[in-house]
Amino acid sequence: MEKSFVPLQIDFNKNKALVNRFSVKWTPTIIVLDVNGDEHHRFVGFLPPEDFIGQMVLGNGKAEFNLEHFEQAIQCFQELLVRYPKTDAAPEAQYYLGVAKYKASHDPKELKSNLEILQREYPSSEWSKKAQVYALIPG
Amino acid sequence: MAKPKWEASLTTAKAKAKKEKKLILMDFYNKL
Repeated sequence: MEKSFVPLQIDFNKNKALVNRFSVKWTPTIIVLDVNGDEHHRFVGFLPPEDFIGQMVLGNGKAEFNLEHFEQAIQCFQELLVRYPKTDAAPEAQYYLGVAKYKASHDPKELKSNLEILQREYPSSEWSKKAQVYALIPG
Repeated sequence: MAKPKWEASLTTAKAKAKKEKKLILMDFYNKL
């Protein structure tokens, strides 16, 4: 965890300023921030270790994606999909992997080929539905 | 695996994250 993150614990009952700033209503709430304090990912509730790590890697990838570090984002999403493919974070990582590849290459075929993977690996996922529109991309 | 050393202040965590080129993993907890 400390390889990629500085871990910060906030007592929900004692730090109402941060609770209000981040609109936290329930614990545990886990939020991934960049050095400016901007939020990139959050999840609520206790998770088994593998799912917890999956969410952390997903958050890392989404932060890199949002900061337009597309190659680093691609590495994070690929790591998640190789090491934690059965976690709930995996379909979202697969979705963002295709988007990050498109943003890095400007080739819309990345979105279409990624849809095929989503439909094959995660057919009932909301992320597969969200990518459905990319079937309209020619080629 | 060694237990992580949790920071308690967002200001400290931001400074450390900037210096070490990392992100921040913020955990809001509540002792029931």
